[in-house]
Amino acid sequence: MRKQQFTLWLVLAVIIVAVYSVVYVKWFSGATRGEQSVTVVLKSLNVRLDFWQAVSQGAETAAKEKGARLEVKGPLQEGDADEQIRILDELIASKPDAIVVAPIADERIPGVLAKVRNAGIRLVVMDSTLELDPPPTIVSNDFAESGRMAGRTAAQEAKGHLAAAVIGDDKNSSITRARLSGLTETLSEYEGGLLGVYFADRSEERAYRIAIRLLEERRPPNTFIALDEAAALGAARALKDRNLAGSVALIGFDSSLDEIKLLESGTLSAAIVQKPFNLGYLGVKTALKLIGGDRTEPVTYIESNVITSKNMYTPENQKLLFPFINNR
Amino acid sequence: MPIESKFRIPLFPFKTIQSNISLAFSLLILSAILLTSLLSYRASVDAVERNSNGYIEEIIKQVNMNIQSYVDNMENISLLALTNKDVKYYISDNSFISAENRRIYEKRISDLFQAILYTRKDIASIMVFGYNGRAVSDRRITTVNPNAKPEDQEWFKMAQRERGKSVISAPHVQNIIADEYRWVVSLSRELKSTDGIKAEGVFLVDLNLSVINDICNNINLGKKGYLFIVDNQGTIVYHPQQQLIDSKLRSERIDDVIQAASGTSFVAKDGDGKRIYSVQDTNFGWKIAGVAYTDDLIASNRVLRNAILLYSLCGLTISLLLSVWLSHRLSKPIKVLQRDMKQVEKGNFDIQTEIGQMNEIGQLGRSFNLMVSRTKFLMQEMIDNQESKRKSELLLLQSQINPHFLYNTLDSIVWMAEQKQHEEVVLMTAALAKLFRASITKDQELVPIRVEVEHITNYLLIQKMRYNDELDYIIDIDESILSFKTLKILLQPFVENAIYHGIRKMYGRDDGMITIRGRQVKDQIVFEVEDNGLGMTTEQLARIRVNAESGSEGIGIRNVNERIKLYFGHEYGIQIRSEIESGTCVTITIPKLD
Repeated sequence: MRKQQFTLWLVLAVIIVAVYSVVYVKWFSGATRGEQSVTVVLKSLNVRLDFWQAVSQGAETAAKEKGARLEVKGPLQEGDADEQIRILDELIASKPDAIVVAPIADERIPGVLAKVRNAGIRLVVMDSTLELDPPPTIVSNDFAESGRMAGRTAAQEAKGHLAAAVIGDDKNSSITRARLSGLTETLSEYEGGLLGVYFADRSEERAYRIAIRLLEERRPPNTFIALDEAAALGAARALKDRNLAGSVALIGFDSSLDEIKLLESGTLSAAIVQKPFNLGYLGVKTALKLIGGDRTEPVTYIESNVITSKNMYTPENQKLLFPFINNR
Repeated sequence: MPIESKFRIPLFPFKTIQSNISLAFSLLILSAILLTSLLSYRASVDAVERNSNGYIEEIIKQVNMNIQSYVDNMENISLLALTNKDVKYYISDNSFISAENRRIYEKRISDLFQAILYTRKDIASIMVFGYNGRAVSDRRITTVNPNAKPEDQEWFKMAQRERGKSVISAPHVQNIIADEYRWVVSLSRELKSTDGIKAEGVFLVDLNLSVINDICNNINLGKKGYLFIVDNQGTIVYHPQQQLIDSKLRSERIDDVIQAASGTSFVAKDGDGKRIYSVQDTNFGWKIAGVAYTDDLIASNRVLRNAILLYSLCGLTISLLLSVWLSHRLSKPIKVLQRDMKQVEKGNFDIQTEIGQMNEIGQLGRSFNLMVSRTKFLMQEMIDNQESKRKSELLLLQSQINPHFLYNTLDSIVWMAEQKQHEEVVLMTAALAKLFRASITKDQELVPIRVEVEHITNYLLIQKMRYNDELDYIIDIDESILSFKTLKILLQPFVENAIYHGIRKMYGRDDGMITIRGRQVKDQIVFEVEDNGLGMTTEQLARIRVNAESGSEGIGIRNVNERIKLYFGHEYGIQIRSEIESGTCVTITIPKLD
């Protein structure tokens, strides 16, 4: 009888423990996982640079959606590699779960990023074709594809008789190289379509002079493709001066207020516009996936939009051209 | 199937009732508590969700009222312009105003607009466009964007379509003023001439979208919750993640929201988690939807779960202890009864089990007690019967070989032999031999009446020879009863008594007579032994009757009485009638037995 009672209690105890442990595991697992922390390091934190501000906004949206803790850092001056390296070194010490970085082109950066990875911090590289071994997870605009887009748009504008001149920014920029590769790939489909590639080194004045010179040649281009804002503005000025605005197509990359005005007036035929908000959003989301151990694509490309004077005020494109509602 | 039943787990697997009751109780309680815990948790969560639903509705109403107040304000401004004479003149086609006066009118209108704008930070711009090509704004000098024609703008076309009613546009970038690109919501309205028939221009008020943006941004619907606004075409007016929706990185349930009636809510559950949409209509065609994530809402979810777990654990412990106690209480009387039964099993019939409540177990105990006492009584009776039978047999034996009788008879024989009365000696010796032979046949208690009559005849023969003429006898037995059974040596003790106490004491008298009768009365056989001897006084008779039950005197009578009752039952026995100086009559009643 003693033995039986003992068995009875044992059975009951086992049942209770089993039920409670099941309930406990079911209700409390997952809740115990701590908050995930992600730090985004931009090329610049300057509030006047809409592109990076939009990236930051996208990153914040992703962090809010997933309930993660987000910090956004970056040098004030765009291109301040020393400052960016200092920030990254600091982060290696404070050890967030993941870092999403838009690296400035500098030969020291790959070494710093390797250190970040060695510290056990998940790394996502934004907006760059940085080479690391093993290759990092990349979230980036598809620069080659945007080059191809520009090429296709140019062909449409010229209605078949394409004679395009490309005014680039920086020979050594990897972004420029990627855009050019896409562009030349498309333009090579048209016999004699590409007259030449010229570099204005981010100078509006130099771009203006290149454009004027080209327009005075025996066979002037009927399409200018400007790879940065300075080149676009220089070429636009040249076209206005020669009263060729609207008749010679001009295709630019990215958008600024000046470029928007040029679009409105028709001087700028089309702009290939990136989606910086999506860049920041997907950057952080990819980082969170890496932390969670989920499968991620090695490279996530973000598409660009072709914006013309006709479609620039559609609801979707308005938001791309004017990402911020609050007036500054 | 027998094999199946062999391996089936029984419903109550334990041997003791207590364990089984405890197990059953515990399982019942466990499941009941589990069920109630889960149900109460669900109910609490539902209640929280309902509450927060109401809370979200309130917030959306607030947002609605806020936005409404801005829209009302724009409406009021438009009414001001509508009724303003300067504006009317300025845009009218007929030339009330000369070209020189135009500047003055422009300034007056501009001043009016500026005065309004000073008080309202939410208004971005106020403008009037006349169909005559004139335009005036709150700016000192109005430069219309050369690349943006007013008549191409959506708000302009909508105002014309509505013919005098005010219309609210979707949010857009206002590019009508040169070098200004602001996100606004436009209220536009077509202006009529003084006669109210001819349309002469369009009035425009722009509300900074940042106002609506700030209202919506400052709404806190939990960590992940948000608020969005769509117009009745499904175009997003405000959405915190509009760019993601534009890029198809995220989907929003705009169709569901448009279909939902004002003040209702619905629940969406997909990869993004479970969330509640609360929808409100505004007066100007927008729909405001609040989205709250349920896991966000129930911030106290963990606390709630902990509390319910704790309480259910406490309840479980208490009720388990209770179940053990209860089962103990229930099974205790059974255990007591079982213990007492064990005692009876061992042979102790003196036990009486204690009876608590008069329930089934109490009744069982009572029946048990009755059974035990009855068994005990029967056993005692059996023992007593055996004992008295043994005793009466011994006495019978004694009465059969009464030594005095034997000596006397033998003396008589000797005496007769000396007298040379050979015939009498032979007769008496033969009778004595028969008498003893009859009484020695011990193998059976019951003998035919015929044998008994023979026996008593022999006895009387001997006695008559001993007492000569002092004694005579008549044996009158009905022939028909001779074959029925009777106890052996039934009559001899009474005849003996009649001789020794009745007739022998009648000194000097020689007419002593003993009459023995045997009859059948109904189902009974009745013997009578009657003498005409001394008789008995009432006191003597009473003493004998008492002695018939016990005592040493009149052993023969008592012995016979006991034997009759033992063999045939209490309704049978002897009766004595006696009268002093006239004789005694003993009646013996036995059943008729074949």
